[in-house]
Amino acid sequence: MNDTKSPPTPKEKVGVYICHCGTNIAKVVDVVEVAKWAEKNPHVEISRENKFMCSSLGQELIEQDIKEKGLTRIVVASCSPHMHERTFRTATENGGLNPFLFEMANIREHDSWTTDDEEAATQKAKALVNGAIERVVHHQPLEHIPVEINPNTLIVGGGIAGITAALELADGGNQVYLVEKQPSIGGHMAQLDKTFPTLDCSACILTPKMSDVGNHPNIELMTYSEVESVDGFIGNFDVTVRKKTSSVNEKCTACSDCEEICPVIVSSEFDVGMGTRTAIYRPFPQAIPNTYTLSRTTDDSQCVAGCPIHQNAHGYISLIAEGKYEEAVKLIVEDNPLPGICGRACAHPCEDVCDRGKVDEPISIAFLKRFAMDKVGDYELLRPEKERKERVGIVGSGPSGLACAYDLRKNGYQVKIFEALPAAGGMLAVGIPEYRLQSAQLKKEIGKIKDIGVDIQLNTKVGEDITLEELEKQYDAVYIATGAHEERKIGIPGEDLAGVLSGIKFLRDVRLGNKVKLGDNVIVVGGGDSAIDTARTAKRLGVKNVTMVYRRSRKEMPADFDEIEEALQEGINIEFLTNPVEVKGKKTVEEVTLQRMELGTPDESGRRRPIPIEGSEFDVPCDNIIITIGQRPDIGSLKLKTKDWGGVEVDEVTLQTSKKKVFAGGDCVVGPDTIVGAMALGKTAAESIHRMFEKLDMYAGREKEGAYLSNIEVDISGREKAPRARIPTIPAKERSSFKEVNLGFTEEAAQQEANRCLHCSICCDCHLCTTVCEPDAIDYSMEDEIVDIDVGNIIIATGYELFDTRQIPQYGYGRLDNVFTSLEFERMVNASGPTEGKIVLRDFESAPESVAIVHCVGSRDENYHKYCSQVCCMYSLKFAHLVHERLPDAQVYNCYIDMRTPGKGYEEFYDRLLKEGTHFIRGKVAEVTDSARTQEEEGKLIVQVEDTLIGRQRRVPVDMVILSPAMEAQPDSKETSQLFKMGCDFDGFFIEKHPKLDPIATMTEGVFLAGACQGPKDVPDSVAQGAAAASRVASLISRGTVMMEPIRASIDAEACSGCKICNTMCPYNAIEFIEEDGVSHVITALCQGCGTCVAACPSGVITGAHFTNDQLISQIEGLLWDMRELEAVPAGKEEKR
Amino acid sequence: MSEQFEPVIVGFLCNWCSYRAADLAGTARIKYAPSLRPIRVMCSGRVDPQFVLKAFINGADGVLIAGCHPGECHYLNGNIKTLRRFLLLKNTLSQWGIEDERVQLQWASASEGIILAERVNKMTEEIRALGPLRWYDKVLGGNGAVPIPVKEK
Ligand code: FES
Repeated sequence: MNDTKSPPTPKEKVGVYICHCGTNIAKVVDVVEVAKWAEKNPHVEISRENKFMCSSLGQELIEQDIKEKGLTRIVVASCSPHMHERTFRTATENGGLNPFLFEMANIREHDSWTTDDEEAATQKAKALVNGAIERVVHHQPLEHIPVEINPNTLIVGGGIAGITAALELADGGNQVYLVEKQPSIGGHMAQLDKTFPTLDCSACILTPKMSDVGNHPNIELMTYSEVESVDGFIGNFDVTVRKKTSSVNEKCTACSDCEEICPVIVSSEFDVGMGTRTAIYRPFPQAIPNTYTLSRTTDDSQCVAGCPIHQNAHGYISLIAEGKYEEAVKLIVEDNPLPGICGRACAHPCEDVCDRGKVDEPISIAFLKRFAMDKVGDYELLRPEKERKERVGIVGSGPSGLACAYDLRKNGYQVKIFEALPAAGGMLAVGIPEYRLQSAQLKKEIGKIKDIGVDIQLNTKVGEDITLEELEKQYDAVYIATGAHEERKIGIPGEDLAGVLSGIKFLRDVRLGNKVKLGDNVIVVGGGDSAIDTARTAKRLGVKNVTMVYRRSRKEMPADFDEIEEALQEGINIEFLTNPVEVKGKKTVEEVTLQRMELGTPDESGRRRPIPIEGSEFDVPCDNIIITIGQRPDIGSLKLKTKDWGGVEVDEVTLQTSKKKVFAGGDCVVGPDTIVGAMALGKTAAESIHRMFEKLDMYAGREKEGAYLSNIEVDISGREKAPRARIPTIPAKERSSFKEVNLGFTEEAAQQEANRCLHCSICCDCHLCTTVCEPDAIDYSMEDEIVDIDVGNIIIATGYELFDTRQIPQYGYGRLDNVFTSLEFERMVNASGPTEGKIVLRDFESAPESVAIVHCVGSRDENYHKYCSQVCCMYSLKFAHLVHERLPDAQVYNCYIDMRTPGKGYEEFYDRLLKEGTHFIRGKVAEVTDSARTQEEEGKLIVQVEDTLIGRQRRVPVDMVILSPAMEAQPDSKETSQLFKMGCDFDGFFIEKHPKLDPIATMTEGVFLAGACQGPKDVPDSVAQGAAAASRVASLISRGTVMMEPIRASIDAEACSGCKICNTMCPYNAIEFIEEDGVSHVITALCQGCGTCVAACPSGVITGAHFTNDQLISQIEGLLWDMRELEAVPAGKEEKR
Repeated sequence: MSEQFEPVIVGFLCNWCSYRAADLAGTARIKYAPSLRPIRVMCSGRVDPQFVLKAFINGADGVLIAGCHPGECHYLNGNIKTLRRFLLLKNTLSQWGIEDERVQLQWASASEGIILAERVNKMTEEIRALGPLRWYDKVLGGNGAVPIPVKEK
């Protein structure tokens, strides 16, 4: 129906009723005057005022007037329509009118309660009433829309409120989906020991209900799951639930074998950090469902992600901590064919990103690997499961070539390595000095690689002894990893004099046993690892004075920190901020001119740029200069496309060169890099070659090859500092030989070091559990499951969180050992808890002689939460009782602001405690401290509190302090409220439909609340609300249909111009375009009546039922009845109101 | 006491958030300027710019449109459309010499009674400072502007 065509309606007879609402309205608004005034409106047949329109008398008045006076429209001016619209619509209907021929004016919430100005309030009331009168004459009779109710119900949250609601509904024969975030239902109640005031064992009354839920044929339990999206409306909600993978399937028998072998020990959430759990775990023995969950994160630990070859450091560290060395070695060699070498000489980028570094220092990850390898001694690399015929030739036997060879061989390919030098290992053999990496070690590890069938041919330079083309012919793929063995020059005069050596050649000659002669004074130019290696090697060859010259300061020096330290200990002199500018001498070096530098602004590498200081040159006599400023590849003979600086050009992802079958990686592609960096490229090449052979996508899913930053974040709060273990070294005196300098950890040191691991990703992926699981229930490949469910109603029972007492630093939690939170104490007194019910101090041994319990921590406090958390007084009393019961001699002090015990049997419980001898101090605790002022306070915690009953400050020395923190909304309650479109208040608790009359429903039809998510509540209240929510849902289900407001849009097809603007407006896609008619059409079943399309229609042909343009425009006119005279006021003249 | 100019503001409040915010302001007995005359709409997205014009023509000194916070609209994103229309409307109105302060948009959730009340107070003061709107003078008056045809019933 077109708005503009609605007929003029002069003949309507409106009845107006102004409510006093006792004095709520009448005190401010002159209701008699408003009623009299309204009568003057030509539409109005009768206008009355009444004490309480919502009373049955008031309602009957309306009914009677309709019948007797023939009213056709009703206006009631009283409270908010959210309060009584339905009441008056019913009265209107009872009088024989269509209920929608009624309109309400809100003169209480929107008027009398917001001002004390009687005149203004009365004027405003007239405006609101007049608006309603003008509006109501345009109302049209409407019929409610029936909607069928899907009898299934979703309950979110498996605490006691959710459990109660689920059982109530399910027992009534209805299907329930219970979604719980944690691996087990039970909520906070499962953590409690006793419940007040009856002192029932919490678990004893809860667990039978939990198992009922688990066994109920009508309840589908979805634990470790979260609701992802909610669509639809009452009767028909479309819900998507993410079932997070527990990596354990339904075959689990809860035998606990996995738990026993799991090496990862983290603090237990259930025991709030008072106890520990393993990575694969069951939150508590009575958990429902009774099955295990493997805690895995969405990404790897930083150490694993930050390692270019993703060595599972977290895994082997966890295994070492548990003394499982064999298992550790097995895990290490899965990823790494050079384990002992990496344990010694790796640059360990993993340690740079180790999250333990945020607490104190990173874990000594590399040396732990060395420890495991040394401890176990022998090992075997992985062998192929099946042989494949494809042959791969690898050029270069350095770390890159070897890593590539290992990965290919593991996959069954036939691999042969060609090495130009007379020794295998590349830089490992000729670039790293013996004292850092013993030849025997290298030989052993290369031997292991050969053992699995990798062939290595020495003294064969590809490009000279055999051409690349020949290799390409003989092999199905070639990997070039020739490294960078040519020293770069500085480019200063005199660099070509005899006695000026290249560092890399020097190291190579020493390693290969070639003769090298050095004078007494040697200068090493450079600051990288190979500069240090060169200097220390020179020293070991007997050179008297070795001086390193580095152009930046020590802070920027790229060499390993410990090695710089060791070099200094060995008597090597380092000149920082110095650079050579000229080498002087006739035929051989005689002296070198050095120049001092200063640091300027940072360059692209982020390090500050060295700038020469004019005139600071000075000459130093010397016999040799060894230059170690960086190496570059020497691949001219391979005839591959190269970059400007000489590196091979490759595809960045696949490492493919300009030739399809030829791949390249390592230093010959990227320039001098770390061992592990070179290995990573070898692995990448192996993957590419494998994909090429298997004809797989060469690019897909390779983002995480090489080092990256993991997206997991670990909570380091409250971690105690424990410094990193130092690796023992041989004394500096003994370092004249090429004996290995570093000694390796003792077993004790290694375990201690490994125990510093924070287990950032919890599960360490060691897969040990799978080896012991008899029913074969653990499946690492399981993925999150997305489940769609259709329900008619939803009950939200997401519960609460406890206030973090660290926010009040003066109470000392986290700083003073013997300050506990309530939940910690609950776990402690629980017979199945971490102390088996013994009340002890943080040393887990000594019993306290005195205990102070602090009420209202974070509640009733302007700075935190203004509200009272309702349960703290009672559970604090319960704690006092439990202390008396377990430690009869202990003194107990309860410090409270007001004692709040409103509940059945609660006050009696308080009385009982008074008799049990608890000391009650009325006053808010100012501080808990350990700084003693008197002898008596020595070694105690002192509770500073003002005792307001005696008007004195008191200092109470005690052994233990228990804080009773506030209940607060879940940290994600805002998102939850948006998900279910229900709104939450300032404190994050969900808003009920009406605080007094409907604390169960929300503003969204079909969504109900239960338990502490609506506000702090104790167990009986949560149970009551859970049951109430269930019965509300049950009544809807038994009704089968609900009547929806008929507020829907419709389009006048005749007048529609077919512009389609409305089609895109509708958030529900409820408007379709009918091609053959060229007009748009509203699908009424989808329309929700927001009216956005109505406002958008340029031709004004969409009608929003009950909110038509006519109705609203008339309401505006009516509302502004007293402003109309303005039209007549000539410009410039002051108008009067 | 000299007569103080008391502005009249028409408020369009969405049923789910801001109307309830106004209810809450009342329930909590928060006192604020009696200048607001609210009209309930299901969603702020229902507010047709012509309603705003109609209010001005009929003598309102200001119009306040209030809705749920972005992301919280009961109808998913009606308020986003409101925001778009609001910006466009403001632009148009300012070309007619109607000050920005006269038409305002406020997001207020059902728990934000205080925010809504404060906004009404602030807006009232701003408009009080501007004085009455004088639509017929300003828009239809001497400067040659053409009246906007408003759909009459
Ligand atoms: S329902 Fe409040 S803005 Fe849409």
